[in-house]
Amino acid sequence: MSASEMSFEEMQEEIRNQLEKLQIEEDSLQEEMSTIMNQAPFLNEKIKSLKKLVPALKIIEHDAVGLVNTINDISDSSEKISGKIRLLDEARSRVQECQSRVCDLIDLEICSQGVQAAILDSDYEKGAAHVHRFLSMDQSLLQKTANDVENISNTLKSVRTLQDATSQLRALVEHKFNEAVRNEDLVSIERFFKIFPLLGIHEVGITEFCTYLRGKVSLTAEKNLKTAITTPISDKRYNIIFADTLTLLFEGLAKVIDIHQPLLETYYGPGRLFSAVNILQKECDVQVRRIFNEWMKCRQINKKMQQISEISRIGPNSSFSKLERIDPKDLDILIGEITFMHYRSELYIRFIQRKVMADIEIGILDSQKKEECINAFSQALNNSELTQLKHELLSHYLRLEQYFMEESINKAVAMDSVDSSQQTSSMVDDTFFIVRKCIRRSISSGNLDGICAIINTACRVLENDFCDVLRSKLRQGYPSGYLDLTQAYNVLQSSIQQGRLQSGDTEQSRTAFIVALNNADSCIEYVDALCEGVLKEIENALPGMNSNEHGKLESCLSGLSSVTSNLKEIIEYGIQQLRSSVIKPRVNPWVDAFLNISHQFTEEELSVYEAGETFVQTLIMNLESLLSSFKDMLTVANYDAFVGALTTEVTQRLEKVILKSSFNGLGGLILDKEVRSLASYITAATSWSVRDKFARLTQIATVLNLEQVSEIADYWGNHDGALTWRLTPSELRSFLLLRTDFKPDDVKRLKL
Amino acid sequence: MDDYKFLFKVVLVGNAGVGKTCLVRRFTQGLFPPGQGATIGVDFMIKTVEVDNEKVKLQIWDTAGQERFRSITQSYYRSAHALILVYDISCQPTFDCLPDWLREIEEYANSKVLRVLVGNKIDREDREIPTHVGEEFAERNNMYFLETSAKEAENVETLFIQIAVDLIKQARNRDVPKYDDTTTIEDRTTSIGNKLLQ
Repeated sequence: MSASEMSFEEMQEEIRNQLEKLQIEEDSLQEEMSTIMNQAPFLNEKIKSLKKLVPALKIIEHDAVGLVNTINDISDSSEKISGKIRLLDEARSRVQECQSRVCDLIDLEICSQGVQAAILDSDYEKGAAHVHRFLSMDQSLLQKTANDVENISNTLKSVRTLQDATSQLRALVEHKFNEAVRNEDLVSIERFFKIFPLLGIHEVGITEFCTYLRGKVSLTAEKNLKTAITTPISDKRYNIIFADTLTLLFEGLAKVIDIHQPLLETYYGPGRLFSAVNILQKECDVQVRRIFNEWMKCRQINKKMQQISEISRIGPNSSFSKLERIDPKDLDILIGEITFMHYRSELYIRFIQRKVMADIEIGILDSQKKEECINAFSQALNNSELTQLKHELLSHYLRLEQYFMEESINKAVAMDSVDSSQQTSSMVDDTFFIVRKCIRRSISSGNLDGICAIINTACRVLENDFCDVLRSKLRQGYPSGYLDLTQAYNVLQSSIQQGRLQSGDTEQSRTAFIVALNNADSCIEYVDALCEGVLKEIENALPGMNSNEHGKLESCLSGLSSVTSNLKEIIEYGIQQLRSSVIKPRVNPWVDAFLNISHQFTEEELSVYEAGETFVQTLIMNLESLLSSFKDMLTVANYDAFVGALTTEVTQRLEKVILKSSFNGLGGLILDKEVRSLASYITAATSWSVRDKFARLTQIATVLNLEQVSEIADYWGNHDGALTWRLTPSELRSFLLLRTDFKPDDVKRLKL
Repeated sequence: MDDYKFLFKVVLVGNAGVGKTCLVRRFTQGLFPPGQGATIGVDFMIKTVEVDNEKVKLQIWDTAGQERFRSITQSYYRSAHALILVYDISCQPTFDCLPDWLREIEEYANSKVLRVLVGNKIDREDREIPTHVGEEFAERNNMYFLETSAKEAENVETLFIQIAVDLIKQARNRDVPKYDDTTTIEDRTTSIGNKLLQ
């Protein structure tokens, strides 16, 4: 029962749903229909206009068909015409080819007849011209022509004659050339040199000719070397005679190349300089090696190198005097000669590089071949004896220069002298003079690697050896025997009077300490100037540096900045020494005098106090005498650092003694005044700002100078008038509590 | 542009022809250029790598192996943070020269320099130095050890990155006042040993 009821109700529900759906559908259909109906007139209009277009379209179609036909006709006829032209072209080219073959044949005849006559007449130019003509013919084509022509044997005979003549002429010209060389017959040498390329044997010509040139270079070089070896020591140029000999060799070679390059280019064409230079380079290698060997022998390079390496093995400061140390001065001239020799080699290498590269650039057009050629040339040059010897020269140079620098600086340090009118001692000027000289000399070698190595060495010597000297001098400390100079003076006076002057030991070590400190400071300036100057000089000497080379150089130069940071550490160390041995023992009792004064003034006491010598006046007077004794001794930067250390010490100590005192309102007022005058005194004494060092003290004085506890609100908090406090809230409270007239409860209640 | 946090100088040394330039080229440019000419003097390359989100600039100095450039190359030892000593695993003489190289390093380099021994060319089939021989040598001399192939790009990245990681660690430790040199060296050798056995 219930099921049917349910189903009835369900059915009813479903029917209703369906009905609803249908209604929605009906609505949407209606809507669609109405839009279609709306479009109907518009569409009708369109159909009408289209109908009107139909006849026009028919006309167009008819015309188009006509056009297509016409075009087809035209294309057919032009096809026919161009076919004929093509045929004509072909025919013409065949005729031309035929003509050239006939020409070749005729020339062949003429050449084969002429060549023999020319050879018999010794007119090699003419003969070679015939052969040149023959060689310019396409040999395989010639063979084919011969087959086509009736008179085969004749043609073949001519070809054979010419081939024979070619080899005959080749042999003859080579022979004649050699004969001319033997007879030193310059005209004939040049004459036959020009014939080689006509006979198609360029490479042979270049080889023969350059071998001849090689011989000439060799003769001159040998003569020059002999002169060099026999040059007497008294000769002005004795000390650089090998550099001179090397220069002569390079100049001679460069001249040979310069003179003959145009000849080569005219008769052999561009792109062949490489072969010529290759042959000449062999002679260059031989001669350079000979000069180098003689130089090694004459200047006893091996012995010197051995001595140097032994000295460096034993260590610079060892007292093993068994070993004969070479005086760096004696090496000076030799080092100069090596740099000169190296520079000359470098220049010559650059010269042939430039020449050959330019020749390859215009002579060889195929990019792959060009690259191969450039690689072959670079490799040949890199493997040449000249390059190897250049490297060896650089290596010798560096060893000697490094030794020179180290030893000279050692000497400068050993011979250090103090001129009382100077703040620094002689070793600083001397050392940087030496470093600069060595780097300059390395620049004159023209090699970046050499320059960088010397800069690296300079960094090492300065950072290790030189800084060690300064550091060890400071480590001995500043003797604080007497508390001030007047005292020291008195003692000195009385010792003199009593006739027992205990040498100025203390005074000497004081001076030594101060001078070392000043030396370190002036070194910083020297290093900066060195860095800047050297970079400019190198940029001038090596204008074509790429970014990589620049990076290399800059990285090496940046090594000098680690010397600077070392020096700064040394100065800091020295100032700390002064602080503990000079500043502290004096400043502490001066500041402690603050404790002897009551800071709870009545009006009356205050006027008495201010009438007399106040605490701060005494302190400033004492500081003044201390500072003035150091002012002229120290460099400006060191003096500033000294004042800085003094300020730190005074302010810290003063803070401590303030904490041990108690103040009333007037006491606070006086303190504030005194701190102000102290700060302005010290500010005037130095070029640096000491405000920062006084910040805490000034704030303490402000706190103690308040009228009431609550006034602190004017200075504390987030408003505009607030200070940037260096005191913590608890510190601030404890300073406030020093005021006897402030209630501790008020202070405690402060919200900070 | 130059926003790096650390700058380290790494110097490669070793006999001529052991593949120093190839290692550097592989690492800096991803190339293996065959038929390289011998290096002249010193070559200089820069590569910035990232370690633990920190940019590290490695200045790599590729030195010439030939004797006649020694006076140039030696001058770079002192400022080096790391020295890579390279030999060729297929060439006994290059291994035999190692003590000479170490002597040179001892003489010219900073005593705290990070030293790494590298056996290169493991792609070659004519090996002459077994791995354990190189490893033992490295251990005896307190060095890192790694075998590489510049040709097959094997371990090259690892080599340089490991150096960067270690140098950063060293640099950070230096800031800490209680820094004990000896313990870290021991740490180092053990960690290398483990790494190699993997």
